[in-house]
Amino acid sequence: MSSSLSKIPPGVQYIFDSEVRVRRHIEREVMTVLDGWSYSEIILPVFDYADLFVLGMGKEQAEMTYRFTGRDGSLLALRPEMTSLVARTVATRFRGDPRPIRLSYSGEVFRWDEPRGGRQYEFHQIGFEHIGSDRLEADTEALVIATEILRRLGVEGFTITLGHVDFFKGIAERLDLDQDGSREMRNIVDRKDAAGLDVFLSGRADETTRAALCKLVTLAGGREILREARSLVENQRSAAALDDLENVYRIAEEIGIDEHIDLDLGDVAALDYYTGLTFKIYSSGLGAALGRGGRYDQLLAKFGNSEPAVGFSLCLDWLAQLLSNRLADRLAARDYEAVRLTDGSDIVRTFKEAALLRSQGRKVEIAR
Amino acid sequence: MLVTLAIAKGRLQTEALELCERAGIAVSKDHLESRRLMIEDESGRYSFLFVKPSDVPIYVEYGVADAGICGRDVLIETAADVHEPLDLGFGRCKLVVAGKPESAERGYNPLVTARVATKYPRTSTDYFQRRGVPIELIVLSGSVELAPVLGLSDHIVDLVETGRTLRENGLVVVDTISESTARLIVNRASYHLKRARIAELIESLRKAL
Repeated sequence: MSSSLSKIPPGVQYIFDSEVRVRRHIEREVMTVLDGWSYSEIILPVFDYADLFVLGMGKEQAEMTYRFTGRDGSLLALRPEMTSLVARTVATRFRGDPRPIRLSYSGEVFRWDEPRGGRQYEFHQIGFEHIGSDRLEADTEALVIATEILRRLGVEGFTITLGHVDFFKGIAERLDLDQDGSREMRNIVDRKDAAGLDVFLSGRADETTRAALCKLVTLAGGREILREARSLVENQRSAAALDDLENVYRIAEEIGIDEHIDLDLGDVAALDYYTGLTFKIYSSGLGAALGRGGRYDQLLAKFGNSEPAVGFSLCLDWLAQLLSNRLADRLAARDYEAVRLTDGSDIVRTFKEAALLRSQGRKVEIAR
Repeated sequence: MLVTLAIAKGRLQTEALELCERAGIAVSKDHLESRRLMIEDESGRYSFLFVKPSDVPIYVEYGVADAGICGRDVLIETAADVHEPLDLGFGRCKLVVAGKPESAERGYNPLVTARVATKYPRTSTDYFQRRGVPIELIVLSGSVELAPVLGLSDHIVDLVETGRTLRENGLVVVDTISESTARLIVNRASYHLKRARIAELIESLRKAL
């Protein structure tokens, strides 16, 4: 066999046996929860115009897509995420429908991103979008649903981190940074590199701001950090962000899910995309986030219908990795009734017998 | 709850362990002298892994270790997606472009491909490409200084602590790419899942600096 036939390309997966059963089980469970919260599933195309994803994700992120030309010469791309596809659909086909619109999806996405930290070029996302509401209820709903999914799946010791992009933006906009400057600062904050931030800010901010910022990037924890943060920032945008966080945290306490929530004021990943609250899910046994989401009130406007939205997605591959040991046994392919086909036996009789068992809802395996 | 620390073997190891000891995380001598690659501290609250410097970010990024100590040079080269909350200050050195004195005077001609021998392919490529210089990489895993001496490459990109190796091989620094010190790095999930323990670790190391 030539090597290109025996070799598989890096970053792709062939999945079989118990792992398929584990993944299908998880997918079913998640979709059942979403259905239970009135989310209607949407099946999306595997490829679309490359421009759509540039518009949705930004140029830099969209560079990670697999692109190819269509028969009419247009540039197409394998979907690197689902939200842009959902947003465009809602802004066009569902424009006249009553709000909010609740949609769920499940499927593979494709990104050219160096396979590392366990990531592949192809992975399976399950998620939901809640479009048309800028209210606290929508944010809370996302959080409550995520918690129900993880509890139902039996994910142990998970934490949902809660951040807010306006907290950082409120501070950064007073520093008067150019695009490169803000990007650099965001990278530093994203790494929680307080020393690096101090160096970066020298000459760019006064002593008080500098000290406050260096303290802020490392603020994470329970409700108490909000008080600390309030004493360090004065601008309105950041203060409003803290109000949002406080409100959501208070509700989480009231409904008893606060044990899973960790506030993280230094979460600045995907700052261009999100506009309000952001979430990430971590679980022991995995080094990376197994799900993320947040409020994105500016995306729909790019598709011609400005309206608020909040969404969440989980990585099925991570969930399967986390749960496969525990689920594989339970989902083993047992309970087959072997209908034996011995030498010289009657094929008609064998299949009649098998069909009878099948009509009783039992599993059969025709054995020799 | 056990917190696992990955420590870069070699150059940074002794100072990293001394710092840990000042911070109240002590490893017994017997344990250190053994050849085991994974040992616990005396309190039983921390576990240490001793791995190659360039592997520290990998262990931490995957979450096999909750935190680690390694040089910033390695962090930049591996581009690991981890938190970097503390500059530990020791292990100070520079990542430089070096070459024979005549090539240093000439600089690199941006129209001609620079042949660069290095252990840092990502950092080197990034440095030369940003300056519009085409680069031909020669990735070596040791004794990089030999390359320009023998004419294998025009330049090297390597870590310099005192500059002695460069001098003794007749090479000079052409440009400094970045300064490096030892850093404490933390896995993104552990940062939240073991928040109290990680916060305690950061705080006690900071005080011991």
